Amino acid sequence: MTELGKTEALPIVRRRAGEITPTLRYVAIVSVIAVISGFIALVAGGYWLSNFTQAYCFVLALTGCALLYGQLGLVSLCQWALVGVGAWISLRFYHFVHPPFFVTILVGGVGASAIGMIWGLPALRMRGLYLALVTLMLAGAFQTLITVTSFPVGGPGFLGQVGASGNDRVPMARPIYASSDTAYFLFVAFVTILCIILVEAHRRSKPGRAWALIRKNEQMAQASGVRVVFYKAWAFALSGFLAGVAGALLAGLFGQLDAGNFAPTDSIVIFIGTLLGGVDVWLGAFLGGILTRFIPALLIDFNVNAYVGLVFFGAALMLALRDPVGIGGLLTALAERLYAKFQARRGS
Amino acid sequence: MIKIESLTVQFGGVRPLDALEGEFTAPICGLIGPNGAGKTTLLNVLSGFVTPVKGSVALNDIALRGLSPTRRVAAGLRRTFQQELVVDELTARENIQAIADHISASRQDARDEIARALGFVELTGRADVLGRQLNLYERRMIEIAKTLIGRPKAILLDEPGAGLNESETDRLRRLLMQIPERFGAQLVLIDHDADLIASVCIETMVLDFGKLLAFGPTRSVLDDPVVRRAYLGTM
Ligand SMILES: Nc1ncnc2c1ncn2[C@@H]1O[C@H](COP(=O)(O)OP(=O)(O)O)[C@@H](O)[C@H]1O
Ligand SMILES: [Mg+2]
Repeated sequence: MTELGKTEALPIVRRRAGEITPTLRYVAIVSVIAVISGFIALVAGGYWLSNFTQAYCFVLALTGCALLYGQLGLVSLCQWALVGVGAWISLRFYHFVHPPFFVTILVGGVGASAIGMIWGLPALRMRGLYLALVTLMLAGAFQTLITVTSFPVGGPGFLGQVGASGNDRVPMARPIYASSDTAYFLFVAFVTILCIILVEAHRRSKPGRAWALIRKNEQMAQASGVRVVFYKAWAFALSGFLAGVAGALLAGLFGQLDAGNFAPTDSIVIFIGTLLGGVDVWLGAFLGGILTRFIPALLIDFNVNAYVGLVFFGAALMLALRDPVGIGGLLTALAERLYAKFQARRGS
Repeated sequence: MIKIESLTVQFGGVRPLDALEGEFTAPICGLIGPNGAGKTTLLNVLSGFVTPVKGSVALNDIALRGLSPTRRVAAGLRRTFQQELVVDELTARENIQAIADHISASRQDARDEIARALGFVELTGRADVLGRQLNLYERRMIEIAKTLIGRPKAILLDEPGAGLNESETDRLRRLLMQIPERFGAQLVLIDHDADLIASVCIETMVLDFGKLLAFGPTRSVLDDPVVRRAYLGTM
């Protein structure tokens, strides 16, 4: 009797043919990024390689932005500023301690995550627009601060600045195993894969389920035992971590950074790029990040005025808001359909 | 046991609950009244979303005042909402897992409780179907299954039968009657279907514009001329 009752209670797992399982998704993440990166590493040199390395840093920033907007509907307009925070902290840490590069990256990530949390936590209880404004203020505050202090270049004291001639600047060294431009690009690609897998693992487990409930209805989430502010803060921290990691990787790419590259408008562009790419699938942030890096450069190449470029972005934003699946969402749907067809054919 | 003492709730000029008294002691209790009577508001006070201006509520002699909604869940209180709130992007199982994540004692307990709840609502075979592909009856069942996780003490259901057809209501009725015995929880049921209330609820409370109109054994409450005039007459 009891034996029978037990088997009855066992869940029946039925997988549809061609269904995308979690394992399959991880395999897709690794193989797609590895193949694309391998190709770039083979054909691209100097200028393009540097640009693609930057593009991957954008991808990390967008992945954080997409996490907040896609999972919780939170609009963060300080993502690029948090990249700057991560870069500053990792440069500061590097010049004090000269740690292994992986540690520098982690410190940059955790540091940006903490700063973002301290600033954003009071706003996490509020809704929509309020958080957007508070994060935009952080982006503005960071620009003001970094214009005054600049990024550390190995000089004395906490700010680590050197004389006006700039001759004593010490760039941040890349790890020995990734000192060439190509090796460093592949290293950044590797970190990008790890970070995207980290986010995907979150989305597929306890925090992801809690986020899904919160997005559906906060009271229902609470009635299901979810501590809403804690899980929002968790998402915010993870998003800040990704930005900080991107900052440390940028610092490693250039060795030193210029304060002029961290305007609040860049954070807004990151958010728009996030919508364009699509927020529900990892591919969205991946493609969105690359586009966000290259579209402005392409517009310049075609001699398009920067303001016209902004109009272009505005129009793209309108499209993205109408159809929030984004480019990544469209491509993913297409890939899933092809895969299902392929499996069906193989099955018959 | 759910105890309500001189409970008053005020929203601006409206008083959805006015000096309400009562104690739900039966294993299955009904809560009825016309639209706007304050039924959902009472559930919101019990689950901690609305703070009363006066009075108190208690679950099995534990005062609930000052406890956050999630603490109340930990104390054994479960509820569903009038509006159906199954997450479209999660599977049936994941929707239930989402509450087990936070209240089941261990992973093994979570697995067992989820399997038991799915089996109870007869949706074991639909466990891996996405929320958006479930029909209304299945979605209502998933919401009930969620309330059965983690040794519930009291389960408050806000119109679980809304929108269901006759045969679905019959299946719902059959399941509801088994909950106190199988899961050891007290059930409080809001519904507009007088037949459903009459057939499953032992005690019933009738609210009318925030005031207690009648409270007692369901049959005598439903036959009370005052109740018939105020409530059933309008149906
Ligand atoms: N959050 C709120 N703010 C203002 N008024 C509310 C709120 N919630 C409910 N009410 C009012 O309280 C009264 C009781 O509502 P409710 O408890 O939902 O009734 P029922 O569930 O019995 O139909 C109604 O008049 C409703 O408009
Ligand atoms: Mg109601």
